[in-house]
Amino acid sequence: MDNAAAIRVRELRKTYVVSEREAGAAAALRSLMRRRTSEIAAVDGISFDLSSGEVVGFLGPNGAGKTTTLKMLSGLLHPTAGEVSVLGHAPSRREKDFLRQITLVMGQRNQLVWDIPAADSFELNRAIYRIPRPEFRRTLEELASLLELAPLLGKPVRNLSLGERMKCEIAAALLHRPRVVFLDEPTIGLDVTMQRRIRTFLAEYNQRFGATILLTSHYMADVEALCRRVLVIHHGRLLFDGELAALVQRFTAHKTIVVRLEDCTADLTTYGEVVSCEEGLATLRVAKDQTARVTERLLADLPVVDLTVEDPPIEEVIERVFAQGTA
Amino acid sequence: MMLQYRASLVIWLISHVLDPLVYLVVWTTVSRSSGGSVGGYDAAQFAAYFIVLMLVNHVTYTWIMFEYEYRVRHGSLSFALLRPVHPIHSDLADNISSKIITLPLILAAAGILALIFHPVFQVQPWAAAAFLPALLLAFGVRFLMEWTLALAAFWTTRVSAINQVYFIAALFLSGQMAPLSLLPAPLRLAASILPFRWTTSFPVEILLGRVGWTEALTGLCVQAGWILVCLLLLRLVWRAGVRVYSAVGA
Amino acid sequence: MRYLRLLWTFFRVGVMGEIAYRANFFVQLFESLLELGTAIAGLAVIFSYTSTLGGWTPDQVLALVGVFFLVGGAIRLVIQPSLEQLIESVRDGTLDFTLVKPEDAQLLSSIQRVEIWKLTDVGLGLVVLAVALVRLGSGLGALHAAGFAAALIAGGVIVYSFWMILATSAFWLVRVENILMVFQSMYEAGRWPVSIYPGWLRFALTFIVPVAFAVTVPAQALAGRLTWQVLAGAWLFAAALFTAARLFWRAGLRRYGGASA
Repeated sequence: MDNAAAIRVRELRKTYVVSEREAGAAAALRSLMRRRTSEIAAVDGISFDLSSGEVVGFLGPNGAGKTTTLKMLSGLLHPTAGEVSVLGHAPSRREKDFLRQITLVMGQRNQLVWDIPAADSFELNRAIYRIPRPEFRRTLEELASLLELAPLLGKPVRNLSLGERMKCEIAAALLHRPRVVFLDEPTIGLDVTMQRRIRTFLAEYNQRFGATILLTSHYMADVEALCRRVLVIHHGRLLFDGELAALVQRFTAHKTIVVRLEDCTADLTTYGEVVSCEEGLATLRVAKDQTARVTERLLADLPVVDLTVEDPPIEEVIERVFAQGTA
Repeated sequence: MMLQYRASLVIWLISHVLDPLVYLVVWTTVSRSSGGSVGGYDAAQFAAYFIVLMLVNHVTYTWIMFEYEYRVRHGSLSFALLRPVHPIHSDLADNISSKIITLPLILAAAGILALIFHPVFQVQPWAAAAFLPALLLAFGVRFLMEWTLALAAFWTTRVSAINQVYFIAALFLSGQMAPLSLLPAPLRLAASILPFRWTTSFPVEILLGRVGWTEALTGLCVQAGWILVCLLLLRLVWRAGVRVYSAVGA
Repeated sequence: MRYLRLLWTFFRVGVMGEIAYRANFFVQLFESLLELGTAIAGLAVIFSYTSTLGGWTPDQVLALVGVFFLVGGAIRLVIQPSLEQLIESVRDGTLDFTLVKPEDAQLLSSIQRVEIWKLTDVGLGLVVLAVALVRLGSGLGALHAAGFAAALIAGGVIVYSFWMILATSAFWLVRVENILMVFQSMYEAGRWPVSIYPGWLRFALTFIVPVAFAVTVPAQALAGRLTWQVLAGAWLFAAALFTAARLFWRAGLRRYGGASA
């Protein structure tokens, strides 16, 4: 298609004015007379481009600004400063042409009507998005087969389990074949199988329909499985924008060495930090630049049955990134 | 403890002033087009009737039937059952405390309406003395009766229909729509046999001198009798209701 | 037009959703009949003592009761449930879903819920109206019918705009449901011709809570008491209030999109 960026963000900023007040009766009285306000920047000048068809993950702790950014991209919030362009439109103008090409899915919040079967909610969306019937039927069939919706469509939404409801929510959001899909914590509260199911679906959807997918999540697993590119946000600032592998590379100071020995009698503390040792399987944490040397020594000194060098768990990496961002 | 039914006191206040006001105007209009008075009431007497009714209604009303409908619908009935004290006490306390707060407002409204509609009062001293016990007994009858009826929530979720039947009956038979003496005879009889007259209309009748002192005394006894009956019914229904509720395992 | 088609879809879906719960229909019918019976019984008592009420004959007041049920039913059918849901969606953030759709958000918010069984009120209102019209006899002509339709439309727009303004205040206030219930209480006063009320109450029921335009004015058309001045005034008021509601809504959206997280 076109090589122009599907989403372009420059120096995006969103600040809120909050009235400050300390606890206590005296402070309360004072606040009646003079209101002290301060500005909080939820999003503090971020810039990035997304090309059409990318699947990108927004990672960050609570309050980092992920959801605020998402809302500015979908037109729900007016930016305080900076430029936002999605598919060539300014989202906050909420032009119908723009809205017809995007969609929003929010974990733990439903657009489906509670008391009626999901199929009826789909029908409402069909009418609102003006989807011609044959096209609507085709899309619904594809989504139903990809998500295994057939047994769910006739039941009132309130009778569905959390995971089933999420599947129907996602289907409802995709009926109009949007070019850009915004997902805000879509797998939150779901069991592991369902999370995996949804991740697989999103990947397949991106493959099949080429939609640009922007997803915020707490779960590293979501981002790992789905997104090659990751944007890490903390305190409203972009700490990292690039491939996940590069993120791990840049922010790890340690590597993990897993050694299989005969037993756990040997004292391994001279080689590195011993994370655990059970029935001969030892896990050591070693500084990145020491890895080669420690490996050599282990192989030379001990009867090693097997040895692997791994990156630390991504959660650890991310925490380091956040810690650095706060510093 | 705040009751959970969400209608605010202001809403109740508005309807407590507006409803008698509407009927006051309607009946005054009727009397004007019928040579000045109707059934023994002229415009000034209608004004007196509905203003006193407004005050008596405010003192005796409860919202407990809506409250229990709300509780059952939202599954918070268990709170009431888990408390060591019978829930009727807290309901009573809530009722009374809310009224103390809103009493100045309703008195102000009564005052304003009096200025506008020029009611005429001829209150005998014994009537004034009998008014207070009649009012308190009326509150007792009404509160106990409506509390017992509220327990229907234990057996069915469709209490709105039951509530509606009750409130319609109360509208006619407790004198809210018109002084009871203006209603056709069968309704008047029903109002006296059923507790309705004794919940609201009777204190008004006493204060306005519409009953003689013998009738007043017998009336007070009837009120007391109804309180005993309601207490008995309440105990029976409460026990049965708790059994049903716990059996369902809600 | 497009909006009507959308409304029809919401209607259809509402019907399909409820059609299984036939018990609800009978309960609603029972309650509506009770309400109607109460109104008529009240009329019977009043008119046993007089032959006119402020100049209105019994059949004219019956027509008024018919309009009262018709309009009340229409409000409880779509306007009230949809706007109550709007208020909740402002609070829990599900308004975001509405805002992200390519259709006017005020329209979507106003038709999103249909309490289909309230059609019984509308139906009963029509029945009462028909009975009243038959009894009023041939005194009515095409002009009256046209006046009635015009007054009803103006009244509908006024009531909708009024509710919309109340609901939009949810962008600023917290406990808006209580304000909505004020309308409920005051609407009750519309059972009787507003012209019998003292001036200050008439004013309140016309311009503060527009009950008069919703019920009395259309009924006046049927009673042959509607002046063209009042009708013109109703339309002017309808246009003004509708515009005000629209502007207020836009302001509410700006606030929602600027200050929320």
